[in-house]
Amino acid sequence: MLHQFNYLAPRTRAELHGVLAAEGPAACLLAGGTDLLVNIRAGFMKPRVVVDAKKVEGFSGLSWSEREGLVIRAGVTINQILRDARTSIDFPLLVACGRDLASHQLRNRATVVGNIVNASPGADMTPALLCLRAHVTISSKRGEREVPLKAFFKGVKRTVLARDEVVDRIVVPAASKGARGDYFKLKRINGHDLGIVGVALCVDRDGELRVGVSACAPVPLLIEGLDADAPADEVVAAVMAAINPITDVRASKEYRRHMVEYFVRRLLDEVRS
Amino acid sequence: MLETENRESLRQVGRSPERHDIEDKLTGAAVYASDMDMPGMLHAQVKRSPHARARILRVDVSRAERLPGVRAILTGADLDYRLGLYVVDKDILAKNEVRHFGEAVAAVAADTLVIARQAVDLIEVEYEVLPPILTARDALAPGAPLVHPDLGKYSYIEAVFSPQPGTNIANLTRCRKGDIDKGFAEATWIVEREYTNPSVQHVPMETHVVIAQWKTGDRVELWTSAQSPFTVRDLFCHAFNLPLSNVHVSIPNVGGGFGGKAGIHLEPLIACLSRKAGGRPVKLQATREEEFSLLPCRSGLTYRIKTGVLADGRIIAQKMEMFWDAGAYADYAVNVTRASGYSASGPYEIPNAWVDAYTVYTNKVYGTAYRGFGHVEFFWGLERHMELVAQTIGMDPLEFRRLNLLRPGSITLTGEKITEHTGDVRKCLDSVAASIGYGELTAEEKAREARTGFKIGKGVATLHKAPAMPSNTATAVVVKMNGDGTVLVNVGLTEIGQGSTTAFAQIAAERLGFPLNKVRVTVEKDTDRDPYDWQTVASKGLILTGNAVILACQDLLAKAYELAGQALRANPCDLDHDGEKVFVRHNPDHSVKFSQLALGYAFPDGSGIGGPLIGVGRYIAQGLTNLNKETGQGLPALDWTYGAHGVVAEVNPTTGQYHILKIASAYDVGKAINPELIRGQCIGGMVQGLGTALCEGYIYDQQGHLLNPSFTDNKIPTTKDLPDEIECIIVERAQLDGPYGARGVGEHPMISVAPALGNAIRQATGAELTHMPIRAEDVWRAMNRHDPVETWAAKTPAGSDRTIHAAK
Amino acid sequence: MKINVTINGAAYEREVPEHVTLLRFLREYVGLAGTKEGCGGGECGACTVILDGRAVNACLVLAAEVDGATLRTIEGEAVNGEHSELQKAFSRRHAVQCGYCTPGMVMSARALIERNPKPSVEEIKEGLEGNFCRCTGYVQIIEAVLEATGQPAANQEGSHA
Repeated sequence: MLHQFNYLAPRTRAELHGVLAAEGPAACLLAGGTDLLVNIRAGFMKPRVVVDAKKVEGFSGLSWSEREGLVIRAGVTINQILRDARTSIDFPLLVACGRDLASHQLRNRATVVGNIVNASPGADMTPALLCLRAHVTISSKRGEREVPLKAFFKGVKRTVLARDEVVDRIVVPAASKGARGDYFKLKRINGHDLGIVGVALCVDRDGELRVGVSACAPVPLLIEGLDADAPADEVVAAVMAAINPITDVRASKEYRRHMVEYFVRRLLDEVRS
Repeated sequence: MLETENRESLRQVGRSPERHDIEDKLTGAAVYASDMDMPGMLHAQVKRSPHARARILRVDVSRAERLPGVRAILTGADLDYRLGLYVVDKDILAKNEVRHFGEAVAAVAADTLVIARQAVDLIEVEYEVLPPILTARDALAPGAPLVHPDLGKYSYIEAVFSPQPGTNIANLTRCRKGDIDKGFAEATWIVEREYTNPSVQHVPMETHVVIAQWKTGDRVELWTSAQSPFTVRDLFCHAFNLPLSNVHVSIPNVGGGFGGKAGIHLEPLIACLSRKAGGRPVKLQATREEEFSLLPCRSGLTYRIKTGVLADGRIIAQKMEMFWDAGAYADYAVNVTRASGYSASGPYEIPNAWVDAYTVYTNKVYGTAYRGFGHVEFFWGLERHMELVAQTIGMDPLEFRRLNLLRPGSITLTGEKITEHTGDVRKCLDSVAASIGYGELTAEEKAREARTGFKIGKGVATLHKAPAMPSNTATAVVVKMNGDGTVLVNVGLTEIGQGSTTAFAQIAAERLGFPLNKVRVTVEKDTDRDPYDWQTVASKGLILTGNAVILACQDLLAKAYELAGQALRANPCDLDHDGEKVFVRHNPDHSVKFSQLALGYAFPDGSGIGGPLIGVGRYIAQGLTNLNKETGQGLPALDWTYGAHGVVAEVNPTTGQYHILKIASAYDVGKAINPELIRGQCIGGMVQGLGTALCEGYIYDQQGHLLNPSFTDNKIPTTKDLPDEIECIIVERAQLDGPYGARGVGEHPMISVAPALGNAIRQATGAELTHMPIRAEDVWRAMNRHDPVETWAAKTPAGSDRTIHAAK
Repeated sequence: MKINVTINGAAYEREVPEHVTLLRFLREYVGLAGTKEGCGGGECGACTVILDGRAVNACLVLAAEVDGATLRTIEGEAVNGEHSELQKAFSRRHAVQCGYCTPGMVMSARALIERNPKPSVEEIKEGLEGNFCRCTGYVQIIEAVLEATGQPAANQEGSHA
C-alpha cells in the first residue's frame, strides 16, 4: 500500500475492544482484506491503524450446535463454508451463494462476516443469510448485543455498528436447517464478477417462503412471510414491490427488474419440483 | 516462398517443438522491466487530470518540492517538445490545456514510490473546466469547439495523411474505385445501416514500465516494456533531436503488448525526469488504472455502410463512411483510419466503391495501435452488414458471401489484383461453415432446444488483413556460429509472447540443416546489439524476418563453404553438409567440422585462415507503394491473410443471456511453421475477440469521466467464458514470397469474432445488434425492440443508427 | 515490524513497514521477483502465491499478516534445477506466451492439484477462474493441467483443411 498505516493483531476480545475504543475512526478492522485493502489502495479509506481480527481468540472456526445453530465466527472464509460437509447438507443455500462469490483466491481470504460488514448493496452472502434468518452478534467493550441480519443494514455501506463495535459472529438458527432453495446471480461474464442482481429463495421446514435480494436497493432485502404454496404471481409481486434497482454502468433498472422476476420464477419452479 | 525445396522433406518447419522462450517464464526467472532495478534508481509517479477538458490556470509544485526525498518535478511548462507518430500534436505533459480524463499534467521522481505518491498529492493544479466533446457526431457538428485549434500548425507526414485544419478531423482517408453513382443507379437493392464500437483497452497483463537514464553528453539509456527497441529509439531521438547513436534501448521480456506498446509512450517523460534529477535512473510502472486512462486505448468507431446489389445478388456498389472516435491525440489512430480505409470492404469484390474514413478528435482517452489495427472494429459493421444485405434480398448469408468473395483476377479497393496465391478465403469460409453444420440444426441441437427452451443459431463471418506498415519496411538478422558449432541468432523483432523466437529457430534450423537444439534465438532486444527491425506489429514479422533468417543462414553457409573449400582443398560447389560437418559430396569422409570452422580454421601446422563465421540476411518489403491521397489507389499490401469464423450460439430468449456452443476458425497461413504456435494465436486471439464482443468497452459520463477505469467494471474473459468447443483450422495456400510459404496470423484471430457471434444470435432470435459489446441486456433489448442503452457515448454522426433502406 | 516466514522451505527474517503488502514484500524485501503485479486489486491473479496451503492474491495480504506462516511461490516449483511435472506439461502444451500471468497461473494450478488430484475440465476452469491470461485464451493451459494430472487431452493440434 502506498498509504502508510500501523498494524495491530490483538489476541483477545478485550484487547480488540480496547483498541477500537481507543483509536476510534482512525482504525479499520481487517479480516480477509479483500475489501479493506482494495479501499485503502483506492484512497477511499485512510486508516492510521489496521486491526487484524484474525488472531483474536474465539474469532475463528465454523461450528454447529443443536441449540444455537450454525455459528460462523469472524474469521471464517467463504471457502471454509464451501468445504464444510455439514453446511453443504444442512444449509445448501449458503453454499450456493458462496460458490459464485469472486474467485477461488479471494474466497480463501474473504470472510462471511467481512462481506456483511462491508455492507455493499450487492453483498453476495446476504441473500442466503437473510433467507436463513441469520442474526448477528455484536461485541464491544460495553458487552454483546444481537441484531437480526434484516435489521443490520442502514444504507449503502452503512450498518448499525457503532465505531467501537465488531461483529463477533453470524449465527444461522437451527430452525433453518434443511431449508430448501437456491440462489441465482446475474453477472456480466461467466467468470468472477460482482452481482448485477442476486436472488435467493428458500422454503423452511415450517412452510414459510422467503426471498433475499441483493443489488436492488441501498441495502440487501428480505421478503418474508410468504406461504410456500403461494401462487408464483403473488410471490413475484411481493418481491417487485420491495425492490428499487437503479441504472448504472452494469445494467439498467429495467433489466434488473426483468431478471429479478425471471430468477424468482425459476427458483420457485426449482423448489417446487 | 523463398525456399523452393520439396515441402515434404521439411524436418523442422511444420512441427510443434516446445517454445524456446518460456523456460525462465515458467520458473519466475524471466526478467521484465518491472523486475529491474538500477543503482541510484528513483521512482516516478504522475499527476493526472480529473477532467476531460479544462484550461490549466495554475500549477503549484512548491509544497511537493519541499517534501524530503523528492528529486525532480516536471510540469507542462518545463518541457517544450512535441510528440506524434504521424501528426505531431502531443506535449509530453499537458500545457495550458488538458484534453482527456487521466491526461498527465505533472510528474515526480523521488527516492521511494511512497514519497513520489505523497509529492504528487501535494501538487496543486487549478483548472477551468470546459464542456468536453464526447462523440464523433458532436465533434463534426458545425461550430463545434476544437480539440486542437492549432491543427493547421502541426507538422505531419504529408505524403500519407490529410488533417483538416479548423475542424476536429485529424485525418481523412479516401478511396475511390469505379463510379459509385453509376453503380447505385444499376442496383436493384440498396441497403444502408450504421454500426458502432466503443473504445476498449488492450489489457496486457504487464502494464507499461519504463526505466530511463539521461546521462552526460545527452546519452540516454532506456529499459522499457515495448514492441520495438528501434521504434522507441528512433521516435525518441526525433522528438529530442538527438543522433541515433546517443540512445540505447533495451527490452527485456515483455508481458504482452497487443499494439498498446507499439510506438512510444512514457519514455520521453521519464527520461526528462531523469535529466532533471541529475541523470539518476528513474522508473515508472503504470498502475492498472493508469493503464486504462493515462495510456491509450483503441479508438471507437461508427461505420456507415450503403450497399447496392444486383438482382442476382452480386454487389455492384458500396459506399463506406468511417468515423473513428480517436480521442484527444492522433497517435496511431490516423494510420488505423488509413489502413482500415483501404481494407474497408473486406474480402469481397466491389466494382464501384467509395470510402471516406475520418479520424475525429474528441476529449477522451486517445486511440493507439491495437491488434487488428482497425479491422476488429470495422469488421463488426461489415460482416453484420453482409448478413443484413443477404436477409434483405432473400439470399442465404453464406451463399451471398460466397457469391461475392474475392477470387483470382478480382481487383481490390486500391487496385491490387488478387492471384492464385493471395490466399484461399473461400476455403476458410467453407471450412468453418462445414465445421458448425451451418444452415440447419442437427437432431441433437434440436433436442437441446426442446429440452432447454433456448434457441440455437449459427453464423459465419469472414476476415482479411494485410500488414499496415510503411511500403519500405525492412529487417535484418545476424547468425553467429559459436566455437562448438551451435549458432546464435540475433533478431531485432521483439518477442512479446507471440512465439517468433521459436518460429525463427525452426526456420534457421531448417535452412541450416541443423538439429533444433543447435540453434538459439535471443529473446531480449537491444538497439546496440541487435540488427534493425521496424516493430512487432502488423503480422509482418514471420514473413519479413523469417525471410531474413533464411538469407542469413544462406550467407553463413556460403561463408562456411568458402572456408571449408580452402581447408579441404575442394570446390565449394562440390561441398555438402550435415548438422556437424561440411564434407565433399563425392568423397564424404573428406570433411571438416563446423566447430573447426566457426572461429576460423587452423591447419595442422597451426596457421590460421578465415575468421569467425557470421551470416547476415536482410529483407525489405518489395513492390509496395504509397496510396494516392485522393483515390486511395496503390499497392499497400505485403500479403493478405484471409480467415473466417463460424459460431454456434445458444440464446435464452427470455433473458438475452447466451453461450457459445462452438466456434470454428480458419486461416490461410500459407504454411504452418509451428502448428501449436498458430493454435495459441488462434485461441488467444479468438478469446480476446470474444472479450471485445462480450463485455469490454469504455463507459464515460456526460462530463467525460471514465466510469470503468479498472477491472471491477472493465471485465475481460476468464477460463469460465470459453466456448464449449473450439476448432482451429489451418489452410495452406502458399505465400510465394513467404518463408517456406508462410504468412502472418498474429492479429487475424481477433477479427470478425464479434460479427460471427452477432450473426448467430440474430439467426437464433431475430435480435439485430448493431452496437458492441453484446451484453445479455443488449440482446434482451434487441429481441424486444427496446432502445439500446446509451452508456457508451457513441452517438452516431448521422443521427440514426438503425437506418435501413430496402428495395428502390 | 520484524517478521519470520518460511518461503519455499527456507526461513526468512525481515524488518518490514507494516503497510507493505505481501506482494511488495516478496519482490522488494526478499528478492523473489517471480510473483508479478498485474492489477494490485485482487482481480487478475498474477500475484497468486500459496499461503499456508491455500492460493491467495499476494496484493491483498499484508506482509505483517504472514509472520509465522509458510509460503510457496513460483521460485519453489522447480526442484534441484529441474522443472516440476506441472511446469513440463505447461511447456509441452504451449501454455505460456508472454509469461507474465504464468507464475500466478502455475501457483493456482499447483494449489488446485493439491486439493483435487484429478480435476475435470470444469474443475480446472473453476480453479483458474481468478487468473487472467490475455495471450493464450486458456485452452492450452487447461490441457497442460490435464496432462500434468495424468489425463492428457486428445491432441487438438490445428486440423488442416
